Amino acid sequence: MSIEISDISKTFGKFAALNSVGFRVNSGELVALLGPSGSGKTTLLRIIAGLEFAERGQVFFNGNEVTDRSAYQRKAGFVFQHYALFQHMNVFENIAFGLRVRPRRERPTESEIKERVARLLEAVQLESFAKRLPAQLSGGQRQRVAFARALAIEPEVLLLDEPFGALDAKVRRELRTWLRKFHDVTHLTSLFVTHDQEEAFEVADRVIIISEGAVQQIGTPEEVRTAPANEFVEKFLDLYSVPA
Amino acid sequence: MAGVVSSLPVKASIPRRATTEPLWVKIVLISALVVFFGLFLVFPLFIVFKEALSKGMGVFLKTFEDSATAHAVWLTLIVAAIAVPLNTAFGIAAAWCVTRFQFFGRSLLISLIDLPLWVSPVVAGLIYVMTFGAQGWAGPWLKEHGIQVIFATPGLVLATVFVTFPFVARSLIPLMQAQGHKEEEAAMTLGANGWHILWRVTLPKIKWGLIYGIILCNARAMGEFGAVSVVSGHIRNKTNTMPLHIEILYNEYQFAAAFAVASVLSILALVSLAVKTYAEWKTDQQLREASDI
Repeated sequence: MSIEISDISKTFGKFAALNSVGFRVNSGELVALLGPSGSGKTTLLRIIAGLEFAERGQVFFNGNEVTDRSAYQRKAGFVFQHYALFQHMNVFENIAFGLRVRPRRERPTESEIKERVARLLEAVQLESFAKRLPAQLSGGQRQRVAFARALAIEPEVLLLDEPFGALDAKVRRELRTWLRKFHDVTHLTSLFVTHDQEEAFEVADRVIIISEGAVQQIGTPEEVRTAPANEFVEKFLDLYSVPA
Repeated sequence: MAGVVSSLPVKASIPRRATTEPLWVKIVLISALVVFFGLFLVFPLFIVFKEALSKGMGVFLKTFEDSATAHAVWLTLIVAAIAVPLNTAFGIAAAWCVTRFQFFGRSLLISLIDLPLWVSPVVAGLIYVMTFGAQGWAGPWLKEHGIQVIFATPGLVLATVFVTFPFVARSLIPLMQAQGHKEEEAAMTLGANGWHILWRVTLPKIKWGLIYGIILCNARAMGEFGAVSVVSGHIRNKTNTMPLHIEILYNEYQFAAAFAVASVLSILALVSLAVKTYAEWKTDQQLREASDI
């Protein structure tokens, strides 16, 4: 499913967080939304998910306008930076949540839920952790549960907000590789927010560079690296590639 | 680090910590506290039970066979059974509002939630007499429709609701503020509607804080004297709650009976205190977990 946004603007008080932002993520693409902190990228992702609403502009999923739909109607898979797991539920129940809250007619049976959760636990390599509470897991394990939980509702788009931001370097790299592999198998349209250009360039098909609430450049990692669109992009990329 | 420490000359004695008080200060402070507690809390409580049983278990039990006493106990339970659930719902709604949304008048609303703690209960009672009493603002209309609020059960419920309003909201607001609402957002993206979010995510999250608030609210609802006294009219077998009935018995020199009813209220308080302490401990644990993440 493709994601398209056009002319999205949002202000917080007098501060213009987003200023007429527009782009398109094609069906099956893995795209990184890259920018320094405070650039408005997380706000943008939340607007796409329906967790926040823009003052102007439209959001389209697969060509259908979803601008006025709430998060629970859009059902975009969302992975939070700090996992946001349900603390009082074990891993199994966390993953099963999205299935259990479905309207009765669409709700899978208990055995179907068990089967699907088991498959997801396998996909994120946490088969033996079903009974654990989130508090008993490491950061990397928590984030994998969060992935599995978002995937359980079989979303047609996956939105990830700094998914590796709270993890240490080693786990970060592992999960990054895992995400790329996972995407190569499923081709689930994914958009992930990051401030780490290495992460963006290594994982994403295309990169959208955003700063001060506006898109600076859109392109493949190769294109962005070889032909930065403006001074900001050049500086932003240089800043990270020159070892201090 | 360990290497650095071991290279220093090691002293055999334990170093004195700067915050440690001399022993005699500790002894004086702790004994002052124990004496104070004993004199003003434990001893009076003991007297309540001693006086209640002063004429034997027979008289104690007989007190509750008296129809006026039985009715007072019953009425207290009824009033609490209406006021506590109402304030639980109000409290959750109020805490939800002030912790989830930024809106004009938010801090005023938080202050208003506290109002009943600042206003004397007698004033609270008078407000309702002025509003719903025969001479009051809504009096004529109520009379026309045959509804009696003041000197009747509805008045008792209103006064109790007013006085006990802050407890649930106040115990939830700090907890909900600390926990944030990421889990609710996650639930939303998973397709949960407001109802599911409330029952499956928010309420389990705030469970212990909520129980703490409800216990406190209930203890106050059953023990409230001032506001209820104003709107009650002290009609035996009709509008007398337990605290009011205790006063009547006492004024009639039925000391054993007065203390017997008082002892029931005291037991209720002790049980509430035990549950409250446990809930408080659990809430603290949740607050710590919330700050860990």
